[in-house]
This record gives sequence, structure tokens and C-alpha cells, in this order.
Amino acid sequence: MSVHIRVRNAETGSTVDMELEGENTVHEIIEGAAGYWEKDPGAYVIRRGKRLLKGQNTVLESGIAEADELELLPDPEGG
Amino acid sequence: MATSLLIGAQDADRFERSRRVNWIDMEAVQRKKCLVVGAGALGNEVVKDLVLSGFRRITVVDMDHVVRSNLNRCLFFRESDVAGGASKASTVAERAKELYPEVEILAIEARIEDLAEGEFRAHDLVFGCLDNIAARMHLNAHSYLCGIPYIDGGTSSSSGKVQVVLPPDTPCLQCATNRTHSRVLEKRYSCSGSEVSYFEPKLAAEITTTSIIAAIQVREGLKIVSGLRNECLKHIMFYNGLKNTSEVLEVPLDEDCPVHPR
Repeated sequence: MSVHIRVRNAETGSTVDMELEGENTVHEIIEGAAGYWEKDPGAYVIRRGKRLLKGQNTVLESGIAEADELELLPDPEGG
Repeated sequence: MATSLLIGAQDADRFERSRRVNWIDMEAVQRKKCLVVGAGALGNEVVKDLVLSGFRRITVVDMDHVVRSNLNRCLFFRESDVAGGASKASTVAERAKELYPEVEILAIEARIEDLAEGEFRAHDLVFGCLDNIAARMHLNAHSYLCGIPYIDGGTSSSSGKVQVVLPPDTPCLQCATNRTHSRVLEKRYSCSGSEVSYFEPKLAAEITTTSIIAAIQVREGLKIVSGLRNECLKHIMFYNGLKNTSEVLEVPLDEDCPVHPR
């Protein structure tokens, strides 16, 4: 069964809607969103509420539900 | 015999005002040994804050040399260091000693990967002030396996993050990685036959974000040595410098993380 979510770009505030299957992974969501916004090649993480999601988990394992809003954040690498 | 009050004596003590902060254990601060890895922008600020906070035993590690583009955010570097191709680690050590002559500060000009395990074990706190994921993961794993608290900082333009790893209680840096981190590593290191080339992109950086992230790293270090581990960040604090907001996001402990002993 499909789940419809919205992903927000933490840097710009813009959003993209996604339709996911239960077996899709968080990796795929991150890479899909980063690709959609043509982000610089870098490290990104994604949050659901106050929690970062594990990349290898599926939509089902992550507890992602219909109409959820996730947020894509850059993982700052510089020092 | 009557006690005589010496007017002005309080101001003769360098750390008199620090001692008034009731949660800081100054005796512990002066005794504990810090390893600062990376002597770039974050490393400069972290060492400055450590020294001004009263830490007296510090090791700074960096393999690199000072270049002009460091001068927009590195307190300890000068134009003359650029011309002379000065070592970042040695320059930070030398200038930090000017701030506080009693500090014992050792500079090691090397890659973190070349540091012996004994070097890690000789320290009580590790500060990550690095500019790449590979070195961060190396430092994270070694600190974790040696049981030493690791305080990692990172910046990018006006964003930053701080993660405190308190082995064995908290998730580590590796727990928070995903495939985008692996792709960065793949992109940076490309192998062709016996050759390995390294690509290092230039990242946007400015001093105000660096100062804030470094200050939080040192604040966390002060809490740890003062016995306030429970008050420390246990997950990742993200800082948004454009909005001046910060938020702590929970990192689930990864059962499959290779760093955690099972």
C-alpha cells in the first residue's frame, strides 16, 4: 500500500511530495529528495519529528505514515 | 590573630571568575588532558576556548600548513605564517601558549590515522575539529573503543552541528550515517590501480558559525570533566545560523553499527 509524504528542504523551506511503498528505504527518500533539489554532492540526514531516521530502514520500519512531513538537512562536514 | 583582607587579591587569580561558576570543577579542568584533532577554524577556536577555560594539558594534531584562505576564521594564524608555510598544529600550540603560558600544549604534525592507539588512551577528552567524514569516522571509532568521550563539531556555511559520544551510553557518529556519507567517501577517494587520489571540495565557512560550534564543543567538555555527563548532549545538536535556532535530534543507536561492541 502506498504512503504519501512531504519532504521539506531545511535550507530553503521548499517541499516535494513523494509516494512511497512500505519497502522503500530511508536511503531512497534522502537520495530522491537531494536529487530533486539538485543538492551539492554531500552528506544529508532526514528527520521525522525530533528523530533522525536510519538510512537502511524501510518506510514501514521507520513508522512513516500517510501525510507525514519529513525534513532533509545537510550534515555539516567542514571544520 | 585577625585575618587581614588583601584588597585586589581576587583579581590576581587568572581563573577567579571561572571559579565563581558553581558547576565548573576547576581542579578537574586543570588536570584533564584533551586531544584536539584538526587545527583549522574549529581547532583554533576550540583550543582558544580550552585555554581560556583553564585546561592545561592539550595535544593538537594536524598534518596541514597555514594558507591565506584560513585567515578569515583562524584566530591564531597570521599573514607571516602563510608566507612561511607554517604548520597549523605547531602554530596553534605556540600562540595558545602566549594566551596562557602555563599550558602544556603538544603539537603533532601528522594525520589522525597515523596516531598510535596509546596516544588516544593518554587523553581524557577528544575534540573532533575535522573537515572530512573519513577522519571523523576514524576518530569516532578509536575514541569509542578506548572509552574516551568524543565531542565532534562540524560546520557548513551558516549551519553547524555538535555530537557528543559518551561510550558506551550514547549512539556514535557511525550510527547517524547513511548512504550519502558513503557516497561522499567514494567520491573523495578514487582508486585506479595502485594510485589513490583524494578530492577535497572547498566548503563555505565563516567565523561566527565556527565560534558558536566550537564554544558548544568546549562547553560540553567542561560539563564532562566537571561530572555533569547527564547534562551533556546525548544526540546531535543542529544549529541554523540564519535563524539562530538550534535543535537536538535523536539518533537511534544502530544495533548493526560496527563501532559498538556486541
